[in-house]
Amino acid sequence: MPEIRVTPLGAGQDVGRSCILVSIGGKNVMLDCGMHMGFNDDRRFPDFSYITQNGRLTDFLDCVIISHFHLDHCGALPYFSEMVGYDGPIYMTHPTQAICPILLEDYRKIAVDKKGEANFFTSQMIKDCMKKVVAVHLHQTVQVDDELEIKAYYAGHVLGAAMFQIKVGSESVVYTGDYNMTPDRHLGAAWIDKCRPDLLITESTYATTIRDSKRCRERDFLKKVHETVERGGKVLIPVFALGRAQELCILLETFWERMNLKVPIYFSTGLTEKANHYYKLFITWTNQKIRKTFVHRNMFEFKHIKAFDRAFADNPGPMVVFATPGMLHAGQSLQIFRKWAGNEKNMVIMPGYCVQGTVGHKILSGQRKLEMEGRQLEVRMQVEYMSFSAHADAKGIMQLVGQAEPRRVLLVHGEAKKMEFLKQKIEQEFRVSCYMPANGETVTLPTSPSIPVSVSLGLLKREMAQVPLPEAKKPRLLHGTLIMKEGNFRLVSSEQALKELGLAEHQLRFTCRVHLHDTRKEQETALRVYSHLKSVLRDHCVQHLPDGSVTVESILIQAAAHSEDPGTKVLLVSWTYQDEELGSYLTALLKKGLPQAPS
Amino acid sequence: MKPTHNSFCHYKFPSGSPWSRGSPRPSVSASSPLRASQVVKPGAGPPERVDPAAGRGFRRTDGTRAGAPSLAMDPECALLLPGLCAVLADPGQPVADDTCLEKLLDWFQTVTETGSSLRLLQDNPCLVELLSHVLGTQDAPAGLLSFALRLAGIFGAQESGFQYLQGELLSGLFGDAGPLGQAAWTVPSVRSGWVQGLRSLAQHPSALHFLADHGVLDTVFSLQRDPSLFVASAASQLLAHVLALSMQGAAGSPPAPQDGAWPTCARRIVGHVEESLCSTAAPQVTQALNVLTSTLGRCHGHWTKALWAQLSPLVARLLEREPVPAAHSLVDLLLSVARSPVFSSADSGPWDMAARTLSRLGPLQAGPLALGLLKLQHCPQTLRTQAFGVLLQPLACVLKASAQAPEAAGLLDGAPGSSVPVDSLLSSKSACVGLLCQTLALLEELQPLPQRPSPWPQEALLGAAVTMLRLCGGGAAPASSLGGRLCRTLAGCVRVQRAALDFLGTLSQGAGPQESVTQVFAALLECLESPDSSPTVLKKAFQATLRWLPGPPQPPSCCALSPHTLLFLQELLPVLQKRLCSPCWEVRDSALEFLTQLSRCWAEQADFRRALLASEVPRLARQLLQDPESYVRASAVTAVGQLSGWGLQPASTSPQHPGAQQGLLGELLHILTTDSEGFPRRAVTQVLTEWLRAGHADVAQDTEQFVATVLQVVSRDLDWEVRAQGLELARVFLVQTLGQPGAGCPYAVGLPVASSPSALPAALHALGRVRLLDFALCALLDCDRPVAQKACDLLLSLRAELARRGGLQEAGGSPDPAAVEAALRGWRTGEQGQPLGELAPAAMLAVLDAMDLEGFRGRLAESSDRVERSPQSLLQDMLAAAGVRENQADCY
Repeated sequence: MPEIRVTPLGAGQDVGRSCILVSIGGKNVMLDCGMHMGFNDDRRFPDFSYITQNGRLTDFLDCVIISHFHLDHCGALPYFSEMVGYDGPIYMTHPTQAICPILLEDYRKIAVDKKGEANFFTSQMIKDCMKKVVAVHLHQTVQVDDELEIKAYYAGHVLGAAMFQIKVGSESVVYTGDYNMTPDRHLGAAWIDKCRPDLLITESTYATTIRDSKRCRERDFLKKVHETVERGGKVLIPVFALGRAQELCILLETFWERMNLKVPIYFSTGLTEKANHYYKLFITWTNQKIRKTFVHRNMFEFKHIKAFDRAFADNPGPMVVFATPGMLHAGQSLQIFRKWAGNEKNMVIMPGYCVQGTVGHKILSGQRKLEMEGRQLEVRMQVEYMSFSAHADAKGIMQLVGQAEPRRVLLVHGEAKKMEFLKQKIEQEFRVSCYMPANGETVTLPTSPSIPVSVSLGLLKREMAQVPLPEAKKPRLLHGTLIMKEGNFRLVSSEQALKELGLAEHQLRFTCRVHLHDTRKEQETALRVYSHLKSVLRDHCVQHLPDGSVTVESILIQAAAHSEDPGTKVLLVSWTYQDEELGSYLTALLKKGLPQAPS
Repeated sequence: MKPTHNSFCHYKFPSGSPWSRGSPRPSVSASSPLRASQVVKPGAGPPERVDPAAGRGFRRTDGTRAGAPSLAMDPECALLLPGLCAVLADPGQPVADDTCLEKLLDWFQTVTETGSSLRLLQDNPCLVELLSHVLGTQDAPAGLLSFALRLAGIFGAQESGFQYLQGELLSGLFGDAGPLGQAAWTVPSVRSGWVQGLRSLAQHPSALHFLADHGVLDTVFSLQRDPSLFVASAASQLLAHVLALSMQGAAGSPPAPQDGAWPTCARRIVGHVEESLCSTAAPQVTQALNVLTSTLGRCHGHWTKALWAQLSPLVARLLEREPVPAAHSLVDLLLSVARSPVFSSADSGPWDMAARTLSRLGPLQAGPLALGLLKLQHCPQTLRTQAFGVLLQPLACVLKASAQAPEAAGLLDGAPGSSVPVDSLLSSKSACVGLLCQTLALLEELQPLPQRPSPWPQEALLGAAVTMLRLCGGGAAPASSLGGRLCRTLAGCVRVQRAALDFLGTLSQGAGPQESVTQVFAALLECLESPDSSPTVLKKAFQATLRWLPGPPQPPSCCALSPHTLLFLQELLPVLQKRLCSPCWEVRDSALEFLTQLSRCWAEQADFRRALLASEVPRLARQLLQDPESYVRASAVTAVGQLSGWGLQPASTSPQHPGAQQGLLGELLHILTTDSEGFPRRAVTQVLTEWLRAGHADVAQDTEQFVATVLQVVSRDLDWEVRAQGLELARVFLVQTLGQPGAGCPYAVGLPVASSPSALPAALHALGRVRLLDFALCALLDCDRPVAQKACDLLLSLRAELARRGGLQEAGGSPDPAAVEAALRGWRTGEQGQPLGELAPAAMLAVLDAMDLEGFRGRLAESSDRVERSPQSLLQDMLAAAGVRENQADCY
C-alpha cells in the first residue's frame, strides 16, 4: 500500500529545532535541520541517530531541504553534513544559501567565544557544508533524481524563505517552513498555487492568535524610541545579523526621514554593508514596493543609519544602536548593555524571543540585579519586548490551507494546546484530516497514487464508435486488458492482448440451476420460459433456438427433466462475465417461478 | 509578584503531622510512619549502581550529557527551591522556557551524583511535596508530569532515596494508579518521562523488586510498540538494562533462563523476547532483536552465553522466513554476538549463523554484516572469504559487465558466481545506485584497516573504481548488453561518482602498477575536465587527485618529478586554470584550495615551479582576490599568499585596483582594511603572520612598519578572529624581537636568540614603535573572550621574558611614575579607545608588573556565561519568569 510517512525529530508540538523526516514514494527527505538555541550540549541538535538505525545517512536520505536561514531551521546543518557525515544534496533558495553561512558563522563565533566550546563546527565546515548546497529559484521544478522533484514557493517571513513542494509521481507533500501571509515593509506575502498536495505540513506558531495590526506595533515601537531619544536617552536594539533587523531599520529610517530627526542611529558589526549587498542582490525576493522604488532609491541604502564603532557607546547624548547578538548573550550588544543599563533614561528593546540563560531572558522576566563579570549590575534602563516575528496567524494559516487545497494537513512548529485548537478548526472548515505528531511520532498516511496508462488507438477508436461524442470533462469507463511490461502500463483490447502475448482465449461462464415445479415436457417448459422472458425483458434480445434452448444476450437457458422428480424441471442457466448483472437478474427472476399458463 | 511558600498551601498536609513541619517523610501518606529501617544514614555512601552515567537522557546511548551544570546544591539554591517548587505546582504559572525543566533535571542529576539523595530530600522537603502534589493532581500538565516522573527516578536511583520515596509516591507515579491510567498517558512526553524515570530508578535490587511488584514490565513490553520512536527505543533500552541488572544480582551462572534459578524479572524479559521472536510482525521481531543486541553488546557475563544458547534457535528460525524479517537488526545482533568476548573463535554457533545469514540476505543487507565480520580479528578464515566475496560481488559484476574482453582480469575470478548482485544491480536505478554506493563506502572503510583481507585486490579494485567513473561520465563503451544497461543506469549519476572518487582516493594508500596509476590519472582528469561534473564531484575529484599525487620529495628539490607525474601535471594545470574561471563559486573555491595544497607539497620542486609559472594559474588566482564571493576571496588570499611566500607570485593584473600598485602586500592590506566579510580579512592576517614568520621579502623591507600597520588595522576589526590572529602576529614579532621565550632555559639549547640581554632596551623600543603593548592591552579588555585570553597570554609571556632578562635594570633604570600611572589609567579607560601613548621600556615593564595578569587569566579561563549557566541563575530565571505575562509564542 503506497503511503506517506512523516516523523518530526524536531518541531513536533514544539517551537524548537525544526527537523522533519518525510518518506514519499520510497524517497526519504529531511525538511530543515535546525538547532535549539536554549541548549548548550548535544541536545541543541536533533537526534539524528533515529533517522536510520542501520546504514549510512547518505544512502538513506535522498535530500535535505532548508526552508530559510533562521538557525532553528538550518543551525544543525554543518553538524549534520560535516560531523555526522551526511554527504548528499542540500536544497535551499539562493538568498538562503548566501545568508545561511553568515548566521552560522555568527553563532559559531559566539559558541566558541563565549562558551569556549571546542567541539563545535568550524568555519571550514560551514563552507564545506555550503558547497553541498544546490540553490533553487522560485517556481523552478528541480529534479533531485529520476523520480523525486521539488519546487519552491514564496513564503515571506525572511529574505529567501520558501515553501517547498516535494513530489514523487503523482504523490506530493508541501512543507511551508515559516511563512507570513501578510506583506511587511520589505517582504511580500506567502503564496502557493492550488497544487492539491496529498499532505500540507504547515507551521503553527500562531495557531490560536489573530495578530493585532502590525501598524500598531510599529507605531508603539517608534513612539518608544522617539520618546527615549527626545529625553536624551540611548536606545539599544539587540538583533540577529539579518532578518527582522532590516525591517526595523527601514522602519526607523523612514520615521527619521519623515520627522527630520538628527539623533544618530548605528548598526554594529558592519552588517549594514552586508545586508545592503544581499538585499540588492536578491531584490526580486523583496516586496513590490521595494522593487518598484529600487530604480531610483534603494531602500537598504540607509541615510540615517551608520556603522557603529565601539567608542561611540561612550558618546554623550541620545542615540539608537542595533547590535548583535539578539539575545544579549555575548559580544557587542552585551557590552553596550553593560554600559547603558545603569541609566534610567536609556531603553533596551528586545524585538524577539530570548532563551533561558541569556541576559535578554533575564531582563525580560523582570530581573533587575544581574551578576556580570563578577560584579553586580543594576538595570535601571527601561526594558521593552516587542515581537516582530513574521509568522502567519491563525487566519493566515487557514488562508494558506484554502489556497493549496491539500487532502490532509499536518501541524508542526507550534505548541500542542494551540495546535489542538487549530486542528479542530481545519477539520471542521475544510473537511480534511489534520495531524499533529509529537517529536519521534510517525504519522502514516495511505495514498492512492494515479498510475499513468497508455491506451491503444484501436481500443479508443472502438470506444469512440460506441459513443460518438463523449463529454470531454466527464470521466468515462473504459474496458480493456491491462498489460504491464518493463515498467509500462498499456490498456488494449482483449483481442490485441491475446495476440501480443500469444495466449489462447478461454471463455468463462457462470452457471446456475433453477428448479421449477412443472409437469409439462421439457420443450414446453422452455417455451413458457421464452414467453415469460420475452414479456418481461422487452429491451433485450430473447430468442428461442431450434434445439429448444432460450437465449437472452449471452445467457443460455436449457430445460431438463429432474432425475428423481418427474414433476420438477431443472433450468440450466449459464452466462458470461460480461452479462453478470443480467445473469443474476434472470436467475432471480426464474427462481420466482413462471406465471400460470392461460387455461 | 514572586511566588512564596503560601502558594503551596492548597496541598499542605494536615497540621500536626510531621510533614507539615517540614520534617522528613518516607511517603505521601500522612499516616504512614517512617520506619527506621527505611532511612539510610547520610554519608552511608551510595548503593551499588550498574551504570552511574546512564541515569537519564536516553537520547544518547553513552549516557553522557555534555555541558551539564556542575555546581552542587548550595545554600542560595536551597533557599530558592521552595519557591520554585511552588511555581511549578501552580497551574496558573507556565514554565518560562521549554528547556528549563530539562536543565533543572540536569542539575538534580549532578547533585545526586555527587551527594546523597536522601539528604537532599530531607533538607528540601519541598521536593517531595512537589512530587506528591503532581501525583495528587488529576489533570497535571503533561510537561510537569513528565518532569516529576524523571525527577522521582533521579532521586530513587540511590537506594536511600528510593526507600525514602517508596510507598505511595513511587507506586503512585509508576504503578497502575499513576499516569498510566490518566488521559495524560496519551502524551508521548509523559510516556517518555515514565520510561526515563524507571531507567534512572533501576539501579539497585530494591528497584527490581519494585518493578516486579508493580507489574511495570508489562507496560514496558507494550511501550516497545509505542508510536513514538523515542519511547519505543527507550523501552527496549530499559528492558536490556533491567535484564542486566537482575542478572548482575543473581548468584552464579545458571545454565538456562527457563530454569527457575534465573531471577523473575530476567525470566519474564527473556520470555517476552522469545515470544516476540516468534511473532510474525516485523516490528516486534525488531524490538526483540534490539533488546538482545543491547544486552549482548553491554553485558559479558557467562549468563549471556546461556541466554544466547536458548535464544539462538529462535533467531536461526528467522532465517528460514521469506523474506528474512528485521534484517538490519539481525545483522546488528550477530555482530554484537561475534564481538562479545564471551564467545571464542572455537564457538562455531555464532559463526555458522553469520555464514548462513550472509548467504540468505540480499547484498544490500549483507554488506554491513560482511564488513563487521571482516573487522573481527578472530573471525574464521572461511567466513572472512565469504564476507569479502559479498563485498566484492557488486564490483565484480560491474567489471564483468563492462569488460571489453571476456578474459579481462576481474574480481572474484573463479569464485562461484551468484546472480543475486546482478539482479539487484539491474532491478532499478535506485537499487543499483544504492548498492554500489554502499559497497564503495564499506570497502573504503575496510581498506585502511590492518585486518583487511590479504591479498588485497588493489589492481582490480582500482579498475572497478575507474570503470564506475567512466560509466557515470558516459565515457565507457561496454561490449555486453548488461554493460550497456549499467551504462544507461549510471550515466550522470552524481552519487556513484562521489562514492567512486572517495574510494579511489582511499586506494591511493596502496601501491598499483604504473598502468593502473595512469588509468587513475586519466579518469581523474576526465572528471575534472568534464563540463557535466557537478561542483561536489569536482571537489571530490580534486581531493582524490591530491591523494594520488606523490608527496613532497625528501629532501626537497633533490629529485625531479617522474615523467608520468610531470605529464599529468602538464595536463592538470590547464584544467585547474579552467576551473578557476568557473561561474560556480564552489568550483573556484575548491580549485583554489587544491592549488594551495598542491603548492604546499611541491613549491620547492623545480619542475612544478616551472610548469606553474608557465601557466596562467598564479595570475588567475590573484585575480580571484577580487571575487564577489567572500569564501573565494579568502581562499585566493591563502593561495596567493602561499605562492608568494614560495616566490611563485605573478605580477598584479589589475592596475585599477587600489592596492595593486603597491604589490601583493598592498593588495592584502587593502582587503584587510576594506573587505566587508570576515573570511578574507581572517585569511589575510593568517598569511601576513606566515610572511612575518618566514621573513617574506615584502615584510623584511621594513618589518616594524609592517607590524605597526597590521596591528593598527587589526585592532579596529569587528571580527574577533581577525583580532585574535593579530595577536598571533604580535606574538611572532615579539619572539623575533626578544627571542624565544624561555630561551635561557638549559633544556632549550639551540633555540634562536634574537637579541642578547644587553639589547633589551632596543628591543623594547621596537615593541613601543609598533605599539604592540598598546594593542595587547587594548585586546585584554576585548569584549570577546578568546581575544582577551590571547592578549593575556602574550603579556604574561612578555613579562616573564623581561623578568628573566633582568627586569627594570636591564630595561634602563627606574620608570617615570607619572608615565606609569598615566598609562595604567589610560588602560583602565581603554574601553573608551584611549591609546596609551609611547612608553619608555622601563615604564612598559612597570605597567606590566602593576597589572594582575594572573588574576585576569583566571577570570578569563571561566566561560563568560558561567553565571548565567549556574543553577542559581536557572532557578532565578524560572522564578522570575513565573511572575511575567507569557510573551507571545515567538521564535527567530
